[in-house]
Amino acid sequence: MSSSQSSPLVGQLVSILGQEAVRADLTSLEAYSHDATPLFQGLPEVIVSPRDTQEVAEVVRFAGKTQTPIIARGAGSNLCAATVPLHGGIVMSMVNMNSILEISKSEMLAVVQPGVTNLDLDTQVGKEGLMFVPDPGSRSVSTVGGNVATSAGGLRGLKYGTTKNYILGLEVVLGSGEVIRTGGRLVKDVAGYDLTRLLVGSEGTLGIITEITAALVARPHASKYGVAYFESLGSACAAVERIISQGILPSTLEFLDNTCLVAVEDFAKLGLDTQAGALLLFGDHGDSEVIEPVVEKMAALCNEVEGCRTVTLAQNVAAAEALLYARRCSLPALARLGTLSILEDIAVPRNRMAITTERIELIAQKYGLRVGTFGHAGDGNLHPTIVLDKDDLPQVRKAELAMGEIFALALEMGGTITGEHGVGSAKLPYLEARLGREQMALQRAIKSVFDPHGILNPGRLGS
Amino acid sequence: MREEFTKSKLDRCISCGYCLPACPTYQLTGAEESSPRGRITLMRAVQDGRLPKENLLAESSFCLGCRACEPVCPAGVEYGVLLEEMREMTWQGRHRPLIVRALFLAVQSQWRIRILGLSSPVARSRRADPNLNLLLGCFERRLFPKVSRTVAKIAPEVSVTPAQGCCGALHAHNGELKKGQAMARVLGEKLPGVILTTAGGCAAHISATIGKERVQEFSQWWVMKEADLSPIVRQGKKIRVGFQDSCHLRNGLGVFKQPRQILEQISEYVEIPNASGCCGAAGSYSLLQRSNSRKVVAQKVEDIKDLNLDYLATVNPGCTRQLATSLKRAGLKTKVVHISELVSLAKG
Repeated sequence: MSSSQSSPLVGQLVSILGQEAVRADLTSLEAYSHDATPLFQGLPEVIVSPRDTQEVAEVVRFAGKTQTPIIARGAGSNLCAATVPLHGGIVMSMVNMNSILEISKSEMLAVVQPGVTNLDLDTQVGKEGLMFVPDPGSRSVSTVGGNVATSAGGLRGLKYGTTKNYILGLEVVLGSGEVIRTGGRLVKDVAGYDLTRLLVGSEGTLGIITEITAALVARPHASKYGVAYFESLGSACAAVERIISQGILPSTLEFLDNTCLVAVEDFAKLGLDTQAGALLLFGDHGDSEVIEPVVEKMAALCNEVEGCRTVTLAQNVAAAEALLYARRCSLPALARLGTLSILEDIAVPRNRMAITTERIELIAQKYGLRVGTFGHAGDGNLHPTIVLDKDDLPQVRKAELAMGEIFALALEMGGTITGEHGVGSAKLPYLEARLGREQMALQRAIKSVFDPHGILNPGRLGS
Repeated sequence: MREEFTKSKLDRCISCGYCLPACPTYQLTGAEESSPRGRITLMRAVQDGRLPKENLLAESSFCLGCRACEPVCPAGVEYGVLLEEMREMTWQGRHRPLIVRALFLAVQSQWRIRILGLSSPVARSRRADPNLNLLLGCFERRLFPKVSRTVAKIAPEVSVTPAQGCCGALHAHNGELKKGQAMARVLGEKLPGVILTTAGGCAAHISATIGKERVQEFSQWWVMKEADLSPIVRQGKKIRVGFQDSCHLRNGLGVFKQPRQILEQISEYVEIPNASGCCGAAGSYSLLQRSNSRKVVAQKVEDIKDLNLDYLATVNPGCTRQLATSLKRAGLKTKVVHISELVSLAKG
């Protein structure tokens, strides 16, 4: 827990931040050599924990002078290796900047430091009858800064959108060490390029976020959920299309394929129908007199679809919680089947979802891999997950090839290589296929303006 | 000496980080290496030969071992087992803290344990139900001998055998996993049938070694025995009682409803904030890591001080000692007692 001052880099940082905010012992470095992404590892040279914007700016200026990479890190719960220090350098942990600076009920916004967790913010604004919309699976641990840096999605993306739709303004330290404030507290503001939107999802490559002004919504009072089982994922997708084409945009439309269903049932014993080809979880929240008929209508629409086995509405909160739990525990339940799970995150147009899931099955068969797919049926965001033995290197290689094919498939369908997890290092090799050469060049040009010394999370977006 | 971690247990962690908010030492420091996920990363680095195992020493000592990370883990990582393996690997030879060596010596043999209880009498030896035996504890008999007397009084069917050793939880938690398991097995042979214990930590260890069906923690047992207790009333009002969970009882055995069920019958029950969060006693931790232990309990005291409680009930002697000392130091009037003592009061 002590810092060695052997290297001049560490010594300089100690003189900027003080001993207690700088760590460089091997144990600490090792702990920060991973995030939540499997297969990626790299040791940083030092970890710093700044307490305010000025300290962040000073460290960035110092890193610019010495050409030292800086990787800003929240909870390290991202799934795209966005915070693994593959090029060494400084890991800047933002978790000590975790204050909620202001909650304005009349303006429906909150001003926070980047290290506050998503759940803490939502809990605090909840006391004022408000809600912070982005709800990634990692919400109890992930930080708002991390959510902004990756433009995190979540389970209510279909109805409400994702992080990018809720950020009004940012305070950011640029690669030069300059501090800028983009946007503000306004709903309408078209003065200049929308740098706020550019910075959201920039994965720490354009600037280090030190303050966030987030828009909030009124907290819904009631919720209702139901579950439908189908013979195939195709018929589940047909039900989703039918629901949305009726003009219903519910907060929840999630699906699990048979592989996930069986894994979840084995793990959680919820009494799911493991004979079904797919499970569709649907639900909405809002005022109870509004959502009751909406959810009943969704149930009826599911029933009309050919290949629908059964539809049940959750009669109480406990039953609804059990359903949501089935969806949330898909990944860990799948993960228990092997020692390595590679979770992907493609998104395709809704009407191509059925064909996409069928083709994923074929890719899995071709490589002899176990793939479970779950995801957000409403917004076409699929999480095909390959489960394997990490010590079986030929199998790991096959998984990489299969992933490449799945990305190509997503693009063929008019979709994207990542819906909500981000590019990081994990998907960078596939980015050009999505964006094309011209946009790749433009991205690099943009980065060089924001980060003239090339120190901000190098080797990732824009590098 | 252990050289490796059990691979299947280490492989289970998917590094999602859901354990971070539940971990008291991560909450104190915000440092990844002081979180369950971070410690598992370190264990893996040792397993893979990237990190010398001496580098685990600091974190294996800083961890409270409260296992609050286990119920929130979606992947079902048995962190408690991994921690015991980590200490078994690192707390050896000169790295074993002196206090731990002294504690091991104190409970090494039956006669030494009996010496622990000499200054004040524990429950008297008696033969009742041969398949229900009260565990007198090692340090509980020294610190809180009244607890076993109380249980013996309110539960006449319970047999009390003076010749019983230590259950080995102390050893398992402090770098002697195999020895700790062997001790639990010996105890299991000495005390046939169900072992009734007033210590959550012992309950979890015995259960993990010789089976869940062989052990019952007091509150868990009591709610099955007697459903109706009358309230304890003072000056026309029900007494106000809070409850502190035992980490291992809750996180290891999933027992947390039962004590609340009892207290709701006999008092005006107040759920203290973060009742499931470790009080910092954590077995020998309060002796080994005094300053960190005090930091953890400081928040607990802060949470309790305005609740105006008559009693704070516990289900583990370590918690009783830690909270009694800390509340007294803070000048609170709240009395810290084992839950059986309140049951006894309710029964008059």
